[in-house]
Amino acid sequence: MARDTAQTPTIPRLRQLQGTASYPPELPAPSLAAPFKLDEGYSDETRSQSDKEVLNPSPDDVMPLPDWVLAHSETERAELAYTLLRTLRASTVSSVVERLAPLLHMDPVLKLPPEITSEIFSYLDPLTLLTASLASRAWRSRIFDTRLWRDLYIGEGWRVDIDAVNTYEQEHSGLSSPQLRKSRSRYADPDLGEPKQKKRVPPSWLDSRVTGSLDNHAPVRGSALQATADADTEGDHLMSDASNDRGTLSSPGHQSPTSGSRCESQSNSGHSKSSVQAITTTSHRSSSSMLVRMPNGAAKINWPHLYRQRRRLEENWAKGRFTNFQLPHPSHMEEGHQECVYAIQFTGKWLVSGSRDRSVRVWDMHTKRLWHPPLLGHTKSVLCLQFDPRPSEDIIISGSSDKNVIIWRFSTGEKLHEIAPAHDDSVLNLRFDERYIVTCSKDKLIKVWNRRQLSPVDKDYPSVSQGSGITYPSYIVDTREIPSPILEAEIANNHIRTLSPFSLLMTLDGHTAAVNAIQLNEDEIVSASGDRLIKIWNLRSGACKKTVVGHEKGIACVQFDNRRIISGSNDDTVRIFDHASGAEVACLHGHGNLVRTVQAGFGDPPGAEEALRLEALAVDNEFRDAQRSGANVDLGPGALRRAGYHQNTHGSRNPIDIKSLGAKIPPGGGGSQWGRIVSGSYDESIIIWKKDPEGRWVVGQRLRQVDAAANASYGDLDTAARHAIARSNAFAQQAQIQAAAAVAAAAAAQQQAPPLPTTNSTTTTDQQQQRPAGGGGSRFQHPAPPATFNPSPLDIPHFPHPVHQQQPQQPQPQPPNRPPPILNPVLAAHLNHPRLTRVAGAALPPTSRIFKLQFDAHKIICASQDPRIVGWDFAADDEELREACQFFTGL
Amino acid sequence: MSEQTEQNAQVEQSAPQILTFCTNDNAILEVERDVAERSVLIRHLLEDLPASGQAIPLQMVNEAVMKKVIEWCRHHQKDPPSTGDDDDSRRKTTDIEEWDQKFMQVDQEMLFEIILAANFLDIKGLLDVGCKTVANMIKGKSPEEIRKTFNIQNDFTPEEEDQIRRENEWAEDR
Repeated sequence: MARDTAQTPTIPRLRQLQGTASYPPELPAPSLAAPFKLDEGYSDETRSQSDKEVLNPSPDDVMPLPDWVLAHSETERAELAYTLLRTLRASTVSSVVERLAPLLHMDPVLKLPPEITSEIFSYLDPLTLLTASLASRAWRSRIFDTRLWRDLYIGEGWRVDIDAVNTYEQEHSGLSSPQLRKSRSRYADPDLGEPKQKKRVPPSWLDSRVTGSLDNHAPVRGSALQATADADTEGDHLMSDASNDRGTLSSPGHQSPTSGSRCESQSNSGHSKSSVQAITTTSHRSSSSMLVRMPNGAAKINWPHLYRQRRRLEENWAKGRFTNFQLPHPSHMEEGHQECVYAIQFTGKWLVSGSRDRSVRVWDMHTKRLWHPPLLGHTKSVLCLQFDPRPSEDIIISGSSDKNVIIWRFSTGEKLHEIAPAHDDSVLNLRFDERYIVTCSKDKLIKVWNRRQLSPVDKDYPSVSQGSGITYPSYIVDTREIPSPILEAEIANNHIRTLSPFSLLMTLDGHTAAVNAIQLNEDEIVSASGDRLIKIWNLRSGACKKTVVGHEKGIACVQFDNRRIISGSNDDTVRIFDHASGAEVACLHGHGNLVRTVQAGFGDPPGAEEALRLEALAVDNEFRDAQRSGANVDLGPGALRRAGYHQNTHGSRNPIDIKSLGAKIPPGGGGSQWGRIVSGSYDESIIIWKKDPEGRWVVGQRLRQVDAAANASYGDLDTAARHAIARSNAFAQQAQIQAAAAVAAAAAAQQQAPPLPTTNSTTTTDQQQQRPAGGGGSRFQHPAPPATFNPSPLDIPHFPHPVHQQQPQQPQPQPPNRPPPILNPVLAAHLNHPRLTRVAGAALPPTSRIFKLQFDAHKIICASQDPRIVGWDFAADDEELREACQFFTGL
Repeated sequence: MSEQTEQNAQVEQSAPQILTFCTNDNAILEVERDVAERSVLIRHLLEDLPASGQAIPLQMVNEAVMKKVIEWCRHHQKDPPSTGDDDDSRRKTTDIEEWDQKFMQVDQEMLFEIILAANFLDIKGLLDVGCKTVANMIKGKSPEEIRKTFNIQNDFTPEEEDQIRRENEWAEDR
């Protein structure tokens, strides 16, 4: 192919190349050559702007050259010109040079084809590109290139739901061309036969595009994309890699690959129509920016737009701009849990929660309504759960302090199976994948169960090994001891049992205290225990591959990916460990009590493995250099002993902050600048950790459940009022950060929570004015006011080591005997605000300890002591952003 | 067929094999085969063509540009061959090694023609260096400076320019 091209130079670009080369090499000065050629009347001269009249003197202005001059060779003409110039005064020469200067400068966008300028632009960062886009219309249209911005998006470490993008493009394409159909959504509709919500975009926008009612820049951009989007196909591969990747990265919620955390762009159900668009000035063309129409009618996603929206979303996270929502819907409080909520998970539009009220509830997050009646079956608190709504899986599994595990059908809520008992004590956590269920318990054990029928010849059948601490039930046969023909015969004769689903496969005994948290990824289990240890197990052999030491008290939660392990502990810290070496690469101080739940997104861009390794190596080398040059650096305990310096453990790369060498990831754990850790604590706050410019983790935001609950209960306010709330949140957060910084600077003394946000007075009045008329009279049963809530200490995961003694051992109120409902949740929340009560000096029990949280690209949802599940939506009320959020997945 | 094999056998003995090229301005250039094969296009050409001993016509490239290209290929003769698509994951840096920087200190017309020639001849390393060079000419400049650098006529109205500036503000934080 390439050879053919070489021999038949018919494509215009190549002919240009040929054309440009027609002056002798001895004189590579195009400044002289160009005017000459101009006079020769090159009609096909399109390669540069040298024929633009604005840049060159028009032919009329140029003195015609006598023929004898033109008869000379280029070298001779150059000599002649030089000689001629020598006769001039310096100032004249200077002005000639000045006139010639533009000829030495030429526009690459005109000179080079799009595939090459695209290559050039790929070396530039977004800000530089946007600046360069102001150079000219041609530049702007080249720079607003789909592939370029998609690569930029991916390079930031952001993930995208490529199935959602493909589906969206198909749905909006005027014709169904084959190349658009190629990537039909790999997963069946997760909405389970519910009518599809297709109309995320008002149908009118297509018309508005045709009639050109957009602002005057859209046509420029549109044509640019049309011009370049053809060279668009090879990038798809990269994208699907990136999106497939996401399952390995993250936590509980992201394990099911169904449009994973596909965001929901629907507004809150209470959203009333409003023409006020306070937040963005550009939203009048919001929906039309999402797509670019190809000449053939096909619709393509507008990547520059998506990139921009993601940046705006990240800014909302950084600045604390959000709206709050709650489950149940404020107008249907009767659907809510009766008591505190220990477990939640969400995927797509679904959220499943488990509570001390013994029920499991399935929520539709679009409507904020309960989907089924509560799932009843457990006889005590539901402590943990996981679900997968894909039709192929259609399952919820829950664990309880009744020691049992129940398997439910997600779509119907029917109870399919109960493992009773699964353990000898409360089931504290469980995880499953397509093959296994792994449970852990206060009885210190980890157990592995099969989900599907298993015969000894199946690859998922456990391979028996003689590790210490691993035991198998007697019905598990050691397949290595039986030659396979015999094995098959034995199975055929029913002498060897085929395991029915939910059989115990193995028990892992290694922790010396309750196993509080567990994670499962491929063939690895990571467990975290009250014995202060994290253990990594091989699921196949049951061998404990590694024990990670670091926390000073019991560990409550853990999450891991292939590169790092993140845990939260009763020592009030969040720590990050290198998965490969077990080295501690960060220890985050910020909470004032047990860290009960944590999720991290590091935002590794594609190819991060190598980059991380190199970064880690560079840090090690710098440390060794510092050591050699006699700097006061030391490792391990030595570093801690050294007086007078408080090590920064938040991911500093300064040699004096380094605690260990040989990690495969740099201090802090690496990842993109957008990396995020969200942790929830018994100090009743949630911290959003972000990275400072030096890559150290710092407190980005501190959120309080009570504030969210207060805001969320105005779910039915109009948009303008909610904007006001969003703004005051941002303001309060800002004040809060400053205050927190001041506190931190003042002393490393007591871990004091930052002062109370100052929004209370305004929000209370707002709320009083805006209460829906029907609200007070409706028969909804409000949950017990938080102050009277007293979760049983038994239900809370167990820390044999010094645990929150401050929790008073009061007799538990039985659910039926709750005090009369207070009809104004906001007021209740405020009256019982922990900060206020603490200020008052009363030793009231905490009311909003965080038990479980999950975040995706644009929201955090948390379960706490409060029966209300609350969320923070960082798309706020920005319609443009909400629309884009349907394509965004986490980090 | 047999004739061709014979020819190949002959030329393989006489290392280094010299190739001749004819540029579009009818200059004849002689290049060692190893050097010329930095160009994927030429390598494939040689794989498919019998070595006729005739000058290979390069209708896309003139002598001056081809000489620069050959200079670059000769300097980078020992570089490991480009591994193709492995750079999808690269973290793009515009660092350029010193020799290449000097090499690229040419007038803009030559620079762009080297880039075009590298693209046509499929010499990835040279194309990258060229693109990085242009990228570095854009970096850190205001729109006006970019226009000046590349002699670009501003065809935006002041109002349009203002509007775009406002639209771009989102990127300036962080």
